Amino acid sequence: MLVRDIMITPAVAVFPETTLREAYRMLGEKGIRHLPVLEGTRLVGVVTDRDLRLATSSLAASPLPPDSPVAAVMSRDPMTADAADPVEDAARVMRDRKIGCLPVMDDDRLIGIITGLDLLDALMRMTGVDKPSGRLEVRLPDRPGELARLTAFMSHRGLDIHSILTYPDGPEAVRTVLRIGTIDSHLVAQDLRRAEFEVLWPPGKPWA
Amino acid sequence: MGVVIHHPAYSDYAFGEDHPFSPLRVRMTLDLLAELGHPVVSIAPEPATREELLSVHADYYVRRVERLGAGETVPDASSYGLGTPDTPAFMGMDEAARWQVGGTLHGANLIWEGREKRVLQLGGGLHHAQRNAASGFCIYNDLAVAIQFLIRKGLWVAYLDIDVHHGDGVQQIFYEDKRVLTLSLHESGKFLFPGSGEVHELGAGAGRGLKLNLPLEPLTEGDSYREVFEAVVPAALRQFHPGVLVVQAGADAHADDPLADLLLTTHDYEALFRRIFDLADTYTAGRVLFTLGGGYSLHAAPRVWALLYLLMQDLPLPGALPQAWRERWAGVLGGRVPQTLHDPYLPSASLSRREQIRHRNRQTAERLLEAVAPHWS
Ligand SMILES: [Zn+2]
Repeated sequence: MLVRDIMITPAVAVFPETTLREAYRMLGEKGIRHLPVLEGTRLVGVVTDRDLRLATSSLAASPLPPDSPVAAVMSRDPMTADAADPVEDAARVMRDRKIGCLPVMDDDRLIGIITGLDLLDALMRMTGVDKPSGRLEVRLPDRPGELARLTAFMSHRGLDIHSILTYPDGPEAVRTVLRIGTIDSHLVAQDLRRAEFEVLWPPGKPWA
Repeated sequence: MGVVIHHPAYSDYAFGEDHPFSPLRVRMTLDLLAELGHPVVSIAPEPATREELLSVHADYYVRRVERLGAGETVPDASSYGLGTPDTPAFMGMDEAARWQVGGTLHGANLIWEGREKRVLQLGGGLHHAQRNAASGFCIYNDLAVAIQFLIRKGLWVAYLDIDVHHGDGVQQIFYEDKRVLTLSLHESGKFLFPGSGEVHELGAGAGRGLKLNLPLEPLTEGDSYREVFEAVVPAALRQFHPGVLVVQAGADAHADDPLADLLLTTHDYEALFRRIFDLADTYTAGRVLFTLGGGYSLHAAPRVWALLYLLMQDLPLPGALPQAWRERWAGVLGGRVPQTLHDPYLPSASLSRREQIRHRNRQTAERLLEAVAPHWS
């Protein structure tokens, strides 16, 4: 899944001279929390609802008046994502830098934005169920060809794999969770066990 | 007392020798009742017409089923769930599927006309079929066609689905309809096909708050199942004021079922069926239409459905199963021929595991009631 598949486009943006009051109004109106800042077509910063609140709070050492320009509070030279980046790369950057959004660029042009919520949506799409399917969970030795052996098994039976998720399970194995297009995943599991796969779900039947 | 709907042509709905959705299940049920001295006298329906199918199905989908059933090749069949390992194409499949629909529709009609209150359709229950796709052994959605008929006649329908799989097709077809309450109890979609049926699926538009799902933990036993049933089903019926209850009585939540992981026994089914008749008496003036559904254990499903018939007719429940029946089906049943109508054993998980499951199911029911509360006034 790529950034372009989950980004919000077009992004609502402001200019450096936009006032804090105006920026705040736009956030409220659109129900968003992040605004890229453009100088002409060039991205020069990002301003968030948090930036606005902190800068104008009566608790601040010297609160800014509402007609101050956004340029006074924005983060400059923000991190960005490329539309063709995998979503996991974007997630890594946001997590490492503890930031809530990435403007998405296509050659130096702002074309969209992704936020933490969009990444949660992506996670739900990757693990979710959008077609009738059953769950199969298999533990595979972490070596070349094992995943191919599993998917070949499915394709020989004419079974659709709707989604597949793999993550490490100890130093020498990976756990693979598949959603397959059959109501009879128990039968598939039974045959996988006969072919010496370690199937964690569904469980075997006592009489089988 | 109620009536049974059945036709020999039902057994044409068959996907081949080793396929779990076998007509043997109903044959064994009928034979069991006959050997018990209660031969079933059934009413014969007509197959549903094309027109009737189109009340819920897309024309382009029906056309594909017809062509496959006539032996033609349909290159994009699998995009419509047809010709797949679960729902393979077979000669005559359109007509075989229309018989299933016709039976359920006939039952709905008998109830609408006020001629019968309790009807048991010994077939149908094809709850996974979607508007434009086959799924999970289901070609046409007989339940949805019957429900559509009933609501067009002005009878609001409470649909109760106790099959172990989520009743996704029926839920989806009536997702925005305020005249249909759907209630599905099933093994959680996180673990079992079709994957949907989460608590947050509550319906949309005018149907919001009227599509209820109880996704249960794998290895759920009967006491926990019945506890959450009691917590949700009567309250929903009280709220909705249905004119008729339509029940998909799949038997695949039984512990012996090879496709799923719940642990109901025949004792639980007896209690459940008695309760459903009670609820019909209280909320729908006794009007209830049962269909079959899943139930892939030849050891369990015929006994569960025989039980349903005996309870519907207020007949006494026998202890031992007739020798003749046991001998006739011994081959099919392998080494494990049941001796009695009821299960002799109570499967049990460890006590702590059982408590944990019960606790989680209770929480699911609470979350569901919380989620629907704002939509019920
Ligand atoms: Zn089922």
